[in-house]
Amino acid sequence: MIRVRGLSKEFATFENGSGGVLALSNIDFDVRDNEFITVIGPSGCGKTTLLRIIAGLIPYDQGEVTIDGRPVTGPGPERAVVFQNFALMPWADVLTNVTFGLDIRGTPKDECQAKARELIKQVGLEGFEKRLPKELSGGMQQRVGLARALAVDPQILLMDEPFGALDEQTRRLLQEQLLLLWEQERKTVVFITHSMDEAVMLGDRVTLMTPRPGRVKEIIDVPLKRPRLRELEKSSLFLEVKEYLWENLRAMQVE
Amino acid sequence: MKNSAVRDWGLRLLVFAVVVGLWEIFVGYSQNFLLPRFSETASGLFHLLFRDHRFWEALYVSNQALLLGYAVSLLVGIPLGLAAGRLRWMDRILNPYVGLLLAMPVAPLIPIVIIALGLGLSSRVFIVVLFAFVFITVNTRAGVRNVEPSLIEMAKSFGASEGQIWRRIVIPGAMPAIFAGMRIGLGRSITGMVMVELLLVASGLGRLLLEFSGRMQSDLVFATVLAVIIEAIALLTAMQAIERRIAGWAPDISIG
Repeated sequence: MIRVRGLSKEFATFENGSGGVLALSNIDFDVRDNEFITVIGPSGCGKTTLLRIIAGLIPYDQGEVTIDGRPVTGPGPERAVVFQNFALMPWADVLTNVTFGLDIRGTPKDECQAKARELIKQVGLEGFEKRLPKELSGGMQQRVGLARALAVDPQILLMDEPFGALDEQTRRLLQEQLLLLWEQERKTVVFITHSMDEAVMLGDRVTLMTPRPGRVKEIIDVPLKRPRLRELEKSSLFLEVKEYLWENLRAMQVE
Repeated sequence: MKNSAVRDWGLRLLVFAVVVGLWEIFVGYSQNFLLPRFSETASGLFHLLFRDHRFWEALYVSNQALLLGYAVSLLVGIPLGLAAGRLRWMDRILNPYVGLLLAMPVAPLIPIVIIALGLGLSSRVFIVVLFAFVFITVNTRAGVRNVEPSLIEMAKSFGASEGQIWRRIVIPGAMPAIFAGMRIGLGRSITGMVMVELLLVASGLGRLLLEFSGRMQSDLVFATVLAVIIEAIALLTAMQAIERRIAGWAPDISIG
């Protein structure tokens, strides 16, 4: 369980630390085990900053962030991140990219390879093991990113607008695949997005954030049944939650 | 693929033929008896390569300075560039000196170096290093700087240590730029090698050039220059072959 209490984060504008911008202010936020939580808010609401803090990639100023009661002081083996820009090593083939996390953590080579091949198969990239990232489409690249994160078998998957850089069709396909994969193991997922459809379609709960400074405005339950199928998009419940999100987001949007 | 390679080589040969043709015509019209034709230069080169053992000795002597100087340039230039690229404080210290060395004309320093180090090999090596290393440093630094920050973040997210980040991300990511620096550095090393031999330390190919020009054997002067060019092309081609194997994933980027 991820527990965030009274979290604040300020970014210094200048090197001497003056002129700070308050990115996050007094955030309270819980993620239960095996929960899929989505975080949405206008740009500048600090949603990515929140994710990076949970990932242990950047320090925070005030408050506490704990995972199963242990304070977050850096990255940990129970967490893995999927990045918006995929963050694949352009010089390494798909297999090497997928084994990266395992390799860093000192897993024996055979085991790395076996695990990576299994995941490459699961994300539907079998036969592409020896390809370089530049030879793959954006959707395929993010599948590699997903396989790399899943390969280390994390308890928590932190996804930072993972499908934000993809076109609509690819994005939908990947959402469906992610849901299928998630149904198998139900890992805890924190999923940052700026798409309302995505937030509602994927999340058990949607965290709505406000900008400047970033605050949690509301956490909205999405009582849609699982497994979720596309048809749900037409259900009145789905539309209702989406409409509610839009009303809120529109009110926040500064022209 | 195959066809375009044939066409490329065809066009290259055509350019070569045009240049050689213009050369011959120009010399024919110029009435300057010191200016050798291409054909004379080519036979001069043949003479140097197969008839004149001094050429090979000179080449050997010059290459000592070149190879040693180039090796020292790599050993100094690459680590400095890596450090400046990744460590802020290091970069702040080095920055003015790198700028200075980039802007500074090296040739006027040759006499000073010779006064300090004498007329031996060490002077020549030092000059070659002065010519080359800063370009290797600048390119390496730029390469490290250009490593995608999200890759470093990604590595950290999996718990990579600083050493692992260097080995797995920073160095491979900077490799194309390091190679670019090595290529430019090699060119500069060759310039430095010939320059020092011509200007003050009469040895190796520079001495040969001085001798030939003193005797007005301009065909042999041209032939020696041509030999230097051929050596440079051979070395650069070999380096490019290695580069394609190691850093073939990236587009070409060079500074210098």
